[in-house]
Parts: sequence; structure tokens; C-alpha cells
Amino acid sequence: MHIPDGVLSAGVAASTYIVSAIAVALSSRRFFSEKLPGALSDPTGRVSLLSAVAAGVFAAQMLNWPIPGGTSAHLVGGALAALVLGPYGGCLAMALVLIVQCLVFGDGGITALGANVLNMGLVDVFAGYWIYKLVSKAVGGRRGMELGALLGGWIGITLAAAACGIEIGLSPKFGYPLSLTLSVMTMWHFALGIVEGVVTMLVFRYLLDKAPAVLGGVEVG
Amino acid sequence: MASRRWLILVLVLVVVSPLFGVIGAEIVGYHEPLDLAVERACEKLGIEPPDVSYWSGLLPDYTVPGLNDVVGYIISGLVGVAILLIPYAVVRRRK
Repeated sequence: MHIPDGVLSAGVAASTYIVSAIAVALSSRRFFSEKLPGALSDPTGRVSLLSAVAAGVFAAQMLNWPIPGGTSAHLVGGALAALVLGPYGGCLAMALVLIVQCLVFGDGGITALGANVLNMGLVDVFAGYWIYKLVSKAVGGRRGMELGALLGGWIGITLAAAACGIEIGLSPKFGYPLSLTLSVMTMWHFALGIVEGVVTMLVFRYLLDKAPAVLGGVEVG
Repeated sequence: MASRRWLILVLVLVVVSPLFGVIGAEIVGYHEPLDLAVERACEKLGIEPPDVSYWSGLLPDYTVPGLNDVVGYIISGLVGVAILLIPYAVVRRRK
């Protein structure tokens, strides 16, 4: 889902840069000033967990699952980051990962960094988080929390892909119409996203049992 | 300790990652999906792919110049993890 250089038009690249920069700045302010439970209650814990989540997401994204037909998919992890750090910390962690991937490894174009942060650091994180909240409240109990994590991971990545499709579609360089880029990206990631949902749910379940204190983004009853 | 177990898990992910990111990728003839989309679009339009990259990184595409891809991929993973763990190391040391 990392957009390379040369795909986005200048207007799309610039506007996504501006939106992402503002969102990341606001998120980092919120993350370091809001009251958070458990391991996130003090600044040291907050920075440690942010750093640990970012490293974990980066490592998980190294596992590129090749798919016959010459393409691949990897986990994104935005929803999971939000469950651990809350949405603001999740946004910050994903932005850090994307900046390192772009600057150190040339993964994701430097002109598309704003769009990549918007898709994977904002849309995936906040959508994943809100879906978790909605579902866990509606269903209730432990089952609701697990279902929320599953759907948060799944739908979060699908919406991130949809945002990616819109950005590419609004950059008419290569003649792909918006309707095509949007539907292809969305359907493809809706199908693959179930893996993201299941992994999100499994890791969440493990943390709920073994280390609930690190789940700062959710109310662990 | 939980943080130690976490670090071990992250390192295991990095060490096994070439199985997917390099070896598996060669088997299926992998290309970055969006790079592929650009190439195909250009083919259809009959124009040269732009092949623009304004910045290819210090370790381009998770490779280390001069080393084979598997080793390069693992070293890249370790470098990325190490950079992202700098804040962790700083606050823990200060404590």
C-alpha cells in the first residue's frame, strides 16, 4: 500500500502532506498530554511503549507475503497500534514507521509520504479504533472486544486502501479513472484484510490475557 | 520480563522475514503492487515508465550494497528496529 514517487499529482501530494503534518502534530500533542491508563500513565512508559510498538510494526511489515500473480501484501498494524497506544499514539507510531521506511529504505516515495501517512497513520488507525469502540460497545463483554479488534483491523485496512485508491484516482497521470482505482484497491484489501483482522484479534487477545496493562487504548474492565 | 520477550519476538520476525520478503518474492516473481500498476498503465498508454524516485534511501529496498539479498534484508530489518527503539533506549537510560 506504500505509494511510490511519480504516481501522485503535485496537488494530491502537497495536500496530503499538509493534512498529515497537521494531524501528526496534533496527535503528538494529544498523546503526551492526555491521561492514559496502565503502562502509559507516565511519560517514560508512554515513550517506551510508543517506541516498542513502532519497532514491532516495522518488523511485522518486513513479512511481505508473496501472492502468486506477482504481488504481495503485508500487515499494516494501524488498528493494533491504536489499541495499545490509543489513536493519537497509534498515529504517531505509524508515522514514525513510515518516515523510517521512506528515508532509510526508500519504501514509499518521499513525495508520497504525506499520502502514506494519511492512509496508514490516520485512516487505518482512527477508523480501526472507532470501529473497535463501536463494536465492543454494541456487542459487549469479552466477545465484543475480540470482535471489535477483528473488524477494526479488517475494515481499517480496507478504508486505508480506499483512501489510497482515491489519491491515485485523483492523480490522473496514468489514465486510471477514480472509479477503477478506488474499487480495485478497496475490493482487493477487503479480501486480504481478513488476515490483518485475524492477526489484530489474536495479538489483542494475547495482550488482554497476558499484559492488559499495555492496552492503553482500550478500557480493560 | 515482558519487554525482553517483546524484543525477542521482534528479532525473530526480522530473522525470518527474508523467507517472505526475499525468497518467497523470488519464487512468485514479486513486484511492489503499485510499481506494477504504474508499469502496466504506461504500457497501455505506450509511454516510458517515469521511473522517478527522488530518494531511494540509505539502504534502497532493504538491501545492503555488496551483500546478498537475504543478509541485506535481515541487516535492514535490524537497522530499522534499532532506529525505532532509540526513544526507548533514551528514556530508559535517563530513568
